[in-house]
Amino acid sequence: MAFTIATTVDEALERLADGARPVAGGTDLVVGARQGKVPLPHDLVAIDRVDELLTIGQDDHGARIGAGVTHDRLLSNPLIVGDYTALADGAALIGSPATRHVGTIGGNVMNGSPAMDTGAPLVVLGARIELRSATTTRLVDPLELWTGPGTTSARTDELCTACLLPALPARTGSAYVRLEFRRAMEIAVVGAAALVRLDESGSVLDLHIALTAVAPTIMAVEGTEVLMGRTVDDNLTDQVAALASEQASPISDLRAGDRYRRHTVGVMARRAVQAAAQRAQGTMIDVPVNRAIGIGAAR
Amino acid sequence: MFPPPDPVSYYQAMTAVDVPRFVRADGPDKVTGSGRYAADLQQPGMLHAKFLYAGRTHARITRLNTEPARTIPGVLAVLTAADVPDVRYSPGVADRRLFATDVVRYESEIVAAVAATSVEAAEAAVAAIEVDYEPLEPVTELEAALADGSPLVHPDLDSYDIDDGIVAHGNTAGFSSIELGDAPAAMATAATVVSSCYVADSCHAAPIEPRAIVAQWEGEKLTVWSSTQVPFDARAGICQTLQLPTNRVRVIVPHLGGGFGGKCGFHFEAHIAALARAARRPVKLVFSRREEFMVPDRRREGMIVDITTGLDDNGHIVARTGWIAIDNGAYIADCAFFPQLAAMHVAGPYQVPNLQVEAHLVYTNHQPSGSVRAPTAPQACWALESHTDELAATIGMDPVEFRRLNGIDNDTVGPSGQHYERTGLQECITAATELVGYGRDLPEDEAIGVAIGWWPSFSMPAGAYVKIDDDGAGQIITGAQECGTGAVMTLRQLAADELGMDPEDFQLVYQDTSAGPYDTGATGSQTLFNNGRAVVGAARQVAEQLKALAAGQLEAAPADIVLADGVGSVVGSPGASVSIAELAATAAGGELLLGHGSGSPTQAPEVGATCVGDQGMAAWVSPQVSCHAVHIRLDPDTGVVRVLKVGAAHDSGRIINPMGALGQVHGGVIMGVGQALTEITVYDHDGHQLNPMLLEYKLQTAADGPEIEVKFIESAPGDGPGGAKGLAEAPNVATAAAIANGLARLIGHPVRHLPMTAERVWTELTGGIDSTDATKRQEA
Ligand SMILES: Cc1cc2nc3c(=O)[nH]c(=O)nc-3n(C[C@H](O)[C@H](O)[C@H](O)COP(=O)(O)OP(=O)(O)OC[C@H]3O[C@@H](n4cnc5c(N)ncnc54)[C@H](O)[C@@H]3O)c2cc1C
Repeated sequence: MAFTIATTVDEALERLADGARPVAGGTDLVVGARQGKVPLPHDLVAIDRVDELLTIGQDDHGARIGAGVTHDRLLSNPLIVGDYTALADGAALIGSPATRHVGTIGGNVMNGSPAMDTGAPLVVLGARIELRSATTTRLVDPLELWTGPGTTSARTDELCTACLLPALPARTGSAYVRLEFRRAMEIAVVGAAALVRLDESGSVLDLHIALTAVAPTIMAVEGTEVLMGRTVDDNLTDQVAALASEQASPISDLRAGDRYRRHTVGVMARRAVQAAAQRAQGTMIDVPVNRAIGIGAAR
Repeated sequence: MFPPPDPVSYYQAMTAVDVPRFVRADGPDKVTGSGRYAADLQQPGMLHAKFLYAGRTHARITRLNTEPARTIPGVLAVLTAADVPDVRYSPGVADRRLFATDVVRYESEIVAAVAATSVEAAEAAVAAIEVDYEPLEPVTELEAALADGSPLVHPDLDSYDIDDGIVAHGNTAGFSSIELGDAPAAMATAATVVSSCYVADSCHAAPIEPRAIVAQWEGEKLTVWSSTQVPFDARAGICQTLQLPTNRVRVIVPHLGGGFGGKCGFHFEAHIAALARAARRPVKLVFSRREEFMVPDRRREGMIVDITTGLDDNGHIVARTGWIAIDNGAYIADCAFFPQLAAMHVAGPYQVPNLQVEAHLVYTNHQPSGSVRAPTAPQACWALESHTDELAATIGMDPVEFRRLNGIDNDTVGPSGQHYERTGLQECITAATELVGYGRDLPEDEAIGVAIGWWPSFSMPAGAYVKIDDDGAGQIITGAQECGTGAVMTLRQLAADELGMDPEDFQLVYQDTSAGPYDTGATGSQTLFNNGRAVVGAARQVAEQLKALAAGQLEAAPADIVLADGVGSVVGSPGASVSIAELAATAAGGELLLGHGSGSPTQAPEVGATCVGDQGMAAWVSPQVSCHAVHIRLDPDTGVVRVLKVGAAHDSGRIINPMGALGQVHGGVIMGVGQALTEITVYDHDGHQLNPMLLEYKLQTAADGPEIEVKFIESAPGDGPGGAKGLAEAPNVATAAAIANGLARLIGHPVRHLPMTAERVWTELTGGIDSTDATKRQEA
């Protein structure tokens, strides 16, 4: 058993090249090992003290979120909450205050669960995932990164160093909504993220939807082009719900049956589009949307 | 970030009750982390225990070879049934042994136990044990289990030791009925008859502390530290199964991290003691979360309830019949009284002149059921109270009005023929409905549901000593056990009241079978009711001693001495006084200040009903009644229900410690919300548990807690100290039922399956078929 605490990315990459596995917050890796899912790797490199991975930065092209940024920083960061609100919605739902305090975006992305809460937001926001090895750096589309439940296309010597988000045009709003049976310590039964861009008259210029926990990986909804130029009304959101339900391929498990999942993912998609459109129009809806409207809201 | 709320103002904001400041004696230890739990204990040379479980729900052992385990380095003891006395135990029906002998009857039945120098070695040893099984057909469905020709869980049941009064045969572990008047004849005369069927799934107590045990022998004397709610039961179980005299065994409970009934009964103390004896070293067992869910014989029982009620033209109940099947699981644990108790809850706190309820406790190859907070009540009350709203709807009467009309009142007779001279039920109905504004206009996705419930006070033997040391500070030495209810803490208040002292002048010595006299333990809401009697008795003896001493010093008659504010003084001349500390110092040089108390438990009242399989559950001492009114909102697109506010009104007699009492109601309500909506233990076809983990077993969290407003109705005093009744279980009775009734208003009909999960609610809303729905099952 080897355990190293890296302080620089290069040091971490060197250890990965030697066969070590990275551990950030450990909320998937260690908890999973204790549950007997997968044994704890014999060679671990801790990356939670690598300063380069802990920053949230912004330039003309957009935002750069270090892989080691924790969920509680995401949900309270003014840039994320202001411009990339769906991501803040997702981060705010993860586990409990303790989970959010140590769990990281890099860990969430690289763990590759189909129920991950930052995944659908990253997809609709147009994120690229930065992967570095000792010798290479590449940017990948998250939908190409996730290859199945708990698997990614990253090589074992690659570290996720950041998530890059493009700058978003004016009148763009995003939101993430998930179905949950309780208000903390929950895993998405299903979920949906939406990004909506409107023109000055309120017609749709851009609309993206991605779904959580209804396929082997986070999935994008296709065919939203037909919604361009329309206003976000009940007709449009009905169509959104139908698209999401049709394209989902949910399974039945302990948390829910497939029929129920297929129906409710449509409901989540509808609500995500409604919330994203309101935000695009400048209406404030507190993070997370789940607590402000819809499931479990206090009204 | 936020300043901690002042507990007093916090509770005052939450409740209609005035709350005096009273800090629990164990509070500082628990919140600072200085308290020690059983899993924290270390002994020199201590070994670690692991159990080998059957892993199948019904099978015959054809070969068992422990030799490979014994050769693993660090393994010092490997035990099976062959290594302990051949004793069958369990209250009521002696149906189990410490280790499986021939047949295993649930998946977590213990086949072998290992003690080793490390957890890893113990795990390796358990994995090395070789067992061959011949599969037997599992029994998992209640109705099928009762049908002729069903495979039997205990084919030799008739040869077991069975207590008088228990009717057990076939797959019936116990049958009870309550009969009053002539229900079939009266039903035939009824103007309206409504029948309903309800099915409740099983769930768990899920205490946050998984259980832990340490056993240590010194010569022939055994000390066991255990996270049990009932140390005297644990001691009795050890003595029975290992054949030891009572006075050689001491059971000590360190701080207990919650129980909710899950830690009642005798569990694994004897296994660990036997390992410690074989290994000649102290041995420790600590359960994982998974084991805490799967292994103990404590699970809230699943239930099927059929109810039929007949009403006359004015809406009065003329007759009720009921049929109940309760999933006992593989062994009876402490379930023998469940059928009759469930029958009382299906009868309910109503005036029912003609009653006939039958209840079957059914053996299955599931984990054994056992007392979880208010056993049988939340499910049975949910069924009855859903049925009650159906009755009211059928005759077009407001459901609250229906309960006023038919519920018990002062000087009425209840369904078992017991006469109630005083009861706060009608006041509870008024208070709870007022707390949530029943009857006001609500948005179309919101509703208020109302339910009433009841629960006995259990009258038991108990004992305590009270002494005052030379400095005037006191000690209460009691056999009582604390599981978080605060009842033991409240004993200080009772002693202080008798002695004119401050509750905080007293220290408690408790949870130790060799220190305190016998007590039933943290079970049956009985601690304050019975141990309070004992402490008051003991304190009164000390008060007499103090009065005699004060009388001598003040040259007055002992009868003229009053003890108040820490001094003894002469009535009418408050100037003539002497402090209790001074009297204590005097006593320390002569006859010590020392009292003992026990007192006789209150006798059960006479009842008019005829009871087959009588377990004493139809005659209730100091009955507690309650009404919960719940304001909910339904998300019709997903079936998710959110509980917004609960108004809880309780008649638990006189409330001695309001802050502790409020905590009990809040906790009971939150548990009720979980049982109503999210808590379910899921089984596969063969009876394996599928969700023995907190991620998939959905307890309510702090973030889910509704607003809870409480009112205590104190107009009907009980037989406990100062007019108290029990309290800990009553708040867990009516919440799920009230939520169900709110939900039925929004859906248009009841959800007949508990818990009423979002998916089940959505299925009802969309007219879909839930294959496990009771009515559908019966049609099929
Ligand atoms: C109680 C609880 C509740 C939870 N609730 C939620 C929830 O609501 N929603 C949700 O989505 N998740 C939830 N999770 C899962 C988990 O907290 C999140 O996925 C979290 O973001 C994981 O981050 P981490 O830093 O702890 O990852 P770790 O456990 O440290 O790592 C996870 C995996 O990713 C790899 N890894 C980590 N960082 C990198 C990197 N930079 N580059 C390459 N590989 C990397 C690790 O090797 C490991 O395989 C919950 C977990 C717990 C324990």
